[in-house]
Amino acid sequence: MLKKLQAVALATAGFSILAACSSGGGDSSANQKINTSEDIKGQTITVLMPPWADLPQSILDDFTKQTGVKVKYTVAQWDAIRDKISVAGAAQSKLADVVEFDWSWTGMYGQAGWFVPLEKNLDTSDMTNNEAFSINGHLYGACYNNDFRSFQYNQKMFQQAGITEPPKTFDEVVQDAKILKAKGVAKYPLAFPLQSEETTSMTWYLMVLAMGGQLFDDKGAPAFEDPSSPGYKALQFYMDGLKDGLINPADTSMSDAQEGDAWRAGGAAITYAAPGDFVSNDDPSMSKVVGQVKPMLVPGTDGPGASYGLPEGLGVMNTSEHKAAAIAFIKWWEQPSTLEKIYDKIGLLPCRKPVFESLVKDGKLNGGDVLLKQQDYVKPLFPNGAPPWYGKFSTNVSSLINAAAKGDMSVDEAIHQMADTARQLTK
Amino acid sequence: MTPSETRQVVARASVEDRPRRDQGGRSELTEGKLGWLFVSPVVVFIVVLVGYPLILAFQTSVQSVSLFPGAPTHFIGLSNYTDVLSDQQTISAALHTAEYWIIAVTVELGIGLAAALALRHPFRGRGVMLALLVLPWALPPVVSGLLWSRIFDPSSGWLNGVLLQLNLIDHYHVWFNDPAATIPLIAVVHAWGLVPLVALILLGGLQGISSELYEAAALDGASSFGAFRSITLPLLQPSIAAALTIGTIVSFAIFDVIYVLTGTARDSRSVMVQIYLTSFANLDFGHGVAIAVLLAIASLFMSGFYLLAFRQAGR
Repeated sequence: MLKKLQAVALATAGFSILAACSSGGGDSSANQKINTSEDIKGQTITVLMPPWADLPQSILDDFTKQTGVKVKYTVAQWDAIRDKISVAGAAQSKLADVVEFDWSWTGMYGQAGWFVPLEKNLDTSDMTNNEAFSINGHLYGACYNNDFRSFQYNQKMFQQAGITEPPKTFDEVVQDAKILKAKGVAKYPLAFPLQSEETTSMTWYLMVLAMGGQLFDDKGAPAFEDPSSPGYKALQFYMDGLKDGLINPADTSMSDAQEGDAWRAGGAAITYAAPGDFVSNDDPSMSKVVGQVKPMLVPGTDGPGASYGLPEGLGVMNTSEHKAAAIAFIKWWEQPSTLEKIYDKIGLLPCRKPVFESLVKDGKLNGGDVLLKQQDYVKPLFPNGAPPWYGKFSTNVSSLINAAAKGDMSVDEAIHQMADTARQLTK
Repeated sequence: MTPSETRQVVARASVEDRPRRDQGGRSELTEGKLGWLFVSPVVVFIVVLVGYPLILAFQTSVQSVSLFPGAPTHFIGLSNYTDVLSDQQTISAALHTAEYWIIAVTVELGIGLAAALALRHPFRGRGVMLALLVLPWALPPVVSGLLWSRIFDPSSGWLNGVLLQLNLIDHYHVWFNDPAATIPLIAVVHAWGLVPLVALILLGGLQGISSELYEAAALDGASSFGAFRSITLPLLQPSIAAALTIGTIVSFAIFDVIYVLTGTARDSRSVMVQIYLTSFANLDFGHGVAIAVLLAIASLFMSGFYLLAFRQAGR
């Protein structure tokens, strides 16, 4: 009986995959079309996304209107989504039909075979960042957020302190922060995530690149152990900032969301930024710094520093019961008209080049000139894709930065423990 | 009645009693079977929902588990156990858990006993007090964690505000930046949620102690403290054992409150947080389950120790 049930389940799953694949077809034009066939009409799909991708109901209604598929949209913290995928993937149980698929999960989840390959269902010819979601010749995520890091500063605070230009180097960042503090404009002018969570690791990686370094050398060995290396200096920068009272010591216990709230409440004058921040900064319902915040290039040692892309994608888990409808949802999201609407509402930067360019041309992109210029300095963090051990390394990095920031260990101890972890993982 | 008549009556009585004893024997046998019948759903429930996963967990803990397709899962003996027992992060998490346990159980027993003694005798408003007492227990740990995170907030928390108003501090503190304060504060938040249960267990035990014993002690000139030491504490031992057992098991499994207040920070990481990180953030299920099995053994050992210790003390 069990075998029969398994056979039926396999046949159903196989049929669903075939239906999903056949709905897209092989050629590019067919790949653009959304499946509006009767077989998915009336279905309800579940979608699980992080807070910054919380689509308004008015946009979701457009998908239902086009396909007849209803959407149950759920929002959870990024870290929580990663954990839920791990549990559901390991147990091969259903989580949601469409889920967040981060660039850093490609090695781990792509190799585990928990996601449906999308390369035959999606026209990606004009999309950037696809390599971040590809492994072993398969595409597991459809890029929906062309995320990369820049910096932002509170221009009003700078003007109050008599500073006319945003800083271009980290020396200037420290110099300006000291002026802002001395003049009483900001108690803690700099804001950096120091909690034991993924954002802390990611921001340190940004600092490493910005200071002219890299995490690993060509042979895959850690490149941040030497005290003169950018990685070491980046961590030392945090510790000096805490010691000099330029960084809020409470950053060690603030979550990513709390950091954002504190920034929008005018709690600091300089911090890192994601493109979506420039929309929320100017949203009066959540911000007290409307019109005050401007983007700036990531500082470096002699001039603008390097940054890296953190694209986010949409994925379909292989346990989804509505794969055809889930793929239709992804195709609908990736339509130029939908991407434009989503940018207008919640500021997610589109991955389709023509849409990105039209936003810049129409002057819709907040701080577009700076963001466009920043893209010239964007390079991949892992040129060969995120390795399968990325999760374990990153978890260790954030907890070690947190411990160093709390004074539980020295910079030297934290850096060497990070390097030891990397060496164990790459054995 | 002559002695011979007495013997006859006793003999007759013993003959008349025989079937009754037989009946009694049959009745005991039936009751025994009936008892098994009643507990059988629970036994099945435990075997299916606890026993089977436990066996699977142990099986996973002695295997090298790979999530990647094609990579075989194979038996590796006790390697996962030796790995985690020599892993500095796991050892550190175990020491933190021991700290949580000692502080939490002490606070729970201390405040729980005081609350139980205060609520022992009827007074006006006792019902309301009991209802209020139960409130923290009724809150899910995540909710109580969020509530306390507002209290400890370094920028706008009530604790900083109150202490500053009272001139006990001169600036706002980041409470969870001080390693010496982090674990005690989290342990107190954890204990806050469990004090009501401990108080109710001890209150039940107190109400089972006969008031005649206290009256007799008073007649013998015993002081209140003497009566508490010689009557209350010894007779309360089964309830204390139950409270300690529950307090220990729950504190060994502490997770939610830590996760809400300090995330996965190293200086407050418990064994459960370490299990979560190992299994779900690092996808290392073999080592994660090995830590979980060790935690379950430690929990069982401590619970057994309490029960045996209090049983011996009661003899």
